[in-house]
Amino acid sequence: MTKTVWAALAATVVLTGCATPQRGSIPVVDASTAVSNQELARSNAPAPVGRTMTSNTGAYASVPQDSGVTVMVPGDNAAPIQTFPAAPASAPISTGPITIGPSMEGPAAPSSNSTYVPPASTPSAPTGIPSSNSGNGLAADEQLDGPILALLTTAQQQQSGGDLNGASSSLERAMRIAPREPQVLYRLAEVRLAQGDAAQAEQLARRGLTYAGGRPALQASLWSLIAQSRERQGDAAGAAAARQRAKVGT
Amino acid sequence: MKRTRSPRSRSRTRQPFNWRSLTGWLFKIGLVCLVVLAGFSIYLDAIVQEKFSGKRWTIPAKVYARPLELFSGLKLGKDDFLTELDALGYRREKTVEGPGSVSVAGSSVELNTRGFQFYEGEEPARSIKVRFSGDYVSGLSSSDGSSLAVARLEPLLIGGIYPAHNEDRILVKLDQTPKSLIDGLVAVEDRDFWTHHGVSLRSIGRAVWVNMSSGQLRQGGSTLTQQLVKNFYLTSERSLTRKATEAMMAVLLELHYDKKEILEAYLNEVFLGQDGTRAIHGFGLASQYFFGQPLSELKLHQVALLVGMVKGPSYYNPRRYPDRALERRNLVIDLMAEQGVATAQEAAIAKQRPLGLTKSGSLTNSSFPGFLDLVKRQLRQDYREEDLTEEGLRIFTSFDPILQTKAESAMAETMKRLDGRKGVENIESAMVVTNPETGEVQALLGGRDPRFAGYNRALDAVRQIGSLIKPAVYLTALERPSQYTLTTLIKDEPFSVKTGDGQVWRPQNYERQAHGTIFLYQGLAHSYNLSTARLGLDIGVPEVLKTVERLGVSRSMQPYPSTLLGAGALTPMEVATMYQTLANGGFNTPLRSIRSVLAADGEPLKRYPFQIQQRFDPGAIYLVQYAMQRVMREGTGRSVYTQLSPALNLAGKTGTTNDSRDSWFAGFSQDLLAVVWMGRDDNGKTPLTGATGALQVWTGFMKRAKPQSLDLPTPDNIVQAWVNPATGQGTDPSCPGAVQMPYIRGSEPAPGPACGGQSPSDSVMDWVRGWLN
Repeated sequence: MTKTVWAALAATVVLTGCATPQRGSIPVVDASTAVSNQELARSNAPAPVGRTMTSNTGAYASVPQDSGVTVMVPGDNAAPIQTFPAAPASAPISTGPITIGPSMEGPAAPSSNSTYVPPASTPSAPTGIPSSNSGNGLAADEQLDGPILALLTTAQQQQSGGDLNGASSSLERAMRIAPREPQVLYRLAEVRLAQGDAAQAEQLARRGLTYAGGRPALQASLWSLIAQSRERQGDAAGAAAARQRAKVGT
Repeated sequence: MKRTRSPRSRSRTRQPFNWRSLTGWLFKIGLVCLVVLAGFSIYLDAIVQEKFSGKRWTIPAKVYARPLELFSGLKLGKDDFLTELDALGYRREKTVEGPGSVSVAGSSVELNTRGFQFYEGEEPARSIKVRFSGDYVSGLSSSDGSSLAVARLEPLLIGGIYPAHNEDRILVKLDQTPKSLIDGLVAVEDRDFWTHHGVSLRSIGRAVWVNMSSGQLRQGGSTLTQQLVKNFYLTSERSLTRKATEAMMAVLLELHYDKKEILEAYLNEVFLGQDGTRAIHGFGLASQYFFGQPLSELKLHQVALLVGMVKGPSYYNPRRYPDRALERRNLVIDLMAEQGVATAQEAAIAKQRPLGLTKSGSLTNSSFPGFLDLVKRQLRQDYREEDLTEEGLRIFTSFDPILQTKAESAMAETMKRLDGRKGVENIESAMVVTNPETGEVQALLGGRDPRFAGYNRALDAVRQIGSLIKPAVYLTALERPSQYTLTTLIKDEPFSVKTGDGQVWRPQNYERQAHGTIFLYQGLAHSYNLSTARLGLDIGVPEVLKTVERLGVSRSMQPYPSTLLGAGALTPMEVATMYQTLANGGFNTPLRSIRSVLAADGEPLKRYPFQIQQRFDPGAIYLVQYAMQRVMREGTGRSVYTQLSPALNLAGKTGTTNDSRDSWFAGFSQDLLAVVWMGRDDNGKTPLTGATGALQVWTGFMKRAKPQSLDLPTPDNIVQAWVNPATGQGTDPSCPGAVQMPYIRGSEPAPGPACGGQSPSDSVMDWVRGWLN
């Protein structure tokens, strides 16, 4: 009997000894998971039920090369738009007059976005905003103001750093502030395309078009983006038609 | 415990056989005991370490409202801003000092934000100045004067995903804890904490002395470590063996972990109150629960209250027994002064302060069960229940507490006004508020009592929609510009059709009168049943139902003629989806309530991105919106302008079902869409039409929310043409009474000759002139 007890104790000692966690190891709640880059999985399809926290990994896949699609990141030398070469992320950003708010009728807060540089000859649409910055070839109505400019700049940095989800999120933030600013929709469409969701890219660009009245250069860029999106979706005829509109626009 | 007892009792049964060598036996027994004890302590040690180094707590997911984005030009009144700050627990001070403080001077507000980890990255804590002008933010700058483009406040915590009975906590780190709390806790609960090894003979001695001399159990000798062990590892059973185990585990815990780690665990583990079925654990959550502030910002008198409550969270519950709690708090303050934690002067000031609890029922403590229900349904599609209740997820939603409060007060006001009218007693209601441009749900009411967490009518009440379907009928027609324009003349006359099952369907107008020949848009503006039904039958019921589906409604409706007048049933949320597409230029957006999800450590997990799909020609939508604006200007919705400025363009539609069983209104401005339903749960009759019931709530809400005027950009294919208001024929702008109407290019009437004689007017023309002048 004693022997059994001894044996049991010895076994316990050995086992618990082994099971003892490392001394001083810092206890933490482990709930971390990598970024999911599947946000665009499919339009309305709900994410799979029962996905677990730990299996919901998908690695830190926001680096475009890993996402399995051809991505056009500004600064990658491949300009996203053939018509207008993309400016580097560090391009000087012009600050325009503040137009959001009660004083604003019509399309919101116009601007300069570093990837979108319309030709200097673009006739400016009359919005009552004095053109104070013609140095970089921007039409007066295409100068962005404070919050939108700041958020587009952030999104640009995130995109350059490969964080497409972050860029997308920042652009949606901008969209909530100025839902009718076509340049925000344009940038969002660009990011969606980079994320591999050509269908949404096209839709967002089309939404942008509905707010881009009187801004032919921007319209052309949007059409060009639609053309690319249609190409990605295998719609060659649609792409050609859109490309035609892009030319007509300019 | 069981393991150790059994060997002992076995040795006892062998006693009679070992009488001969007493000493040897004693030695053996002693040895066995020692070994058993050693084994037991190794066993305890494993338990102690396993739980302490693993995941210590399961944390329910936390749900946050939208963060308030501040920028120059934002539509936000100062009062609403201060309400939000109050809800976030900002302290009003003369000069701002430290995170979470705010000072108001005239129309400008200076504050120190707290900083927060968002999906897109971290928002730093900063010192900002916000200037207001009317209902708008007119300026935003850093306190040092430099300009600031945009800043975000931290989002309001609006709830969590709790299982039926649960511990809830907000984890805090030792360095986020006010020093006065740590020192106060040690002073009150365990003075020798920093020097003892888990148990303190001195404090046991002191406890024994106090209890002996007073003759009752007044003081416990448990150290903080022992208290932690008791809460963390053991049951609440009171026995000597449990006490011994507790002491052993306390010693073991001290052996493995340093004082700071033990103290941090204690701060997060301690039980401090009960909120319904939710147990409030840890100082982090207690601070939010009682003061609506982060722990790091608490002042001496607040710290003292929490420290005092450790002794008996129910007995000293400050909301239930304020006097008792105040007395205890002041005792703790005295003790803190005595121990040198606070100076005598600080203590004196602190004792003068009130308890400073958040009011129950203020924004902070009110819950929003209707909206949370919506969030939970979405989350349950994407996550397992355990993940939601245990992993400490942070859920960021589009909920706008300011709009929700306005919706609630509009509902309450209308209900109060209706109160006393016959048949209104059992009327229930539901409301959904969204942003038509982003598709985000901003507020939701599941019933007339916004605090009732039960039947969520906004999501689950499937009710006949009545005339709310009419825009779909007219949209279907207007998508065929070669056949229909806004000024196409249609007949509003009685008729009957044989339905499939041989019955005869004979629609009637609400006021049981026919209106003869009218313009197409008037049928919608005045919600005429006869003309709408005839139009719908001409186009084809299945075509109209296709339009309803394209508008975003997935619930199917029967292709009966009566469906044209709203015999089909939808939930308020589905109606919101349908009208969202109308409001958003024909782009359908699945309504969203969640923006993103972060893991407990701030790691981004999932996003619910903005998605749209163009479903209609912008031109056709433009025309329908025009007609829906007519509803508000001269039709069934015109009562809004008794309360709202005529400068405001709004579009909407009333809905009333047979015998007024349902009262609906769905409408939108540029930046707000709201759907209101009123009716009885038993589908009984009510005295309310869409205009006298739901529209009143809608108007009350819009009045409070101050919407932006509807301003749809004119699509490329829309032209304005001058028409004769009597005939709808093209005319010349020089003619008297000529009006401009929008048409899809190519469908406009040919320009008329410069002004000549006018054609004779009939009743319709008179009528038309009425609104033109």
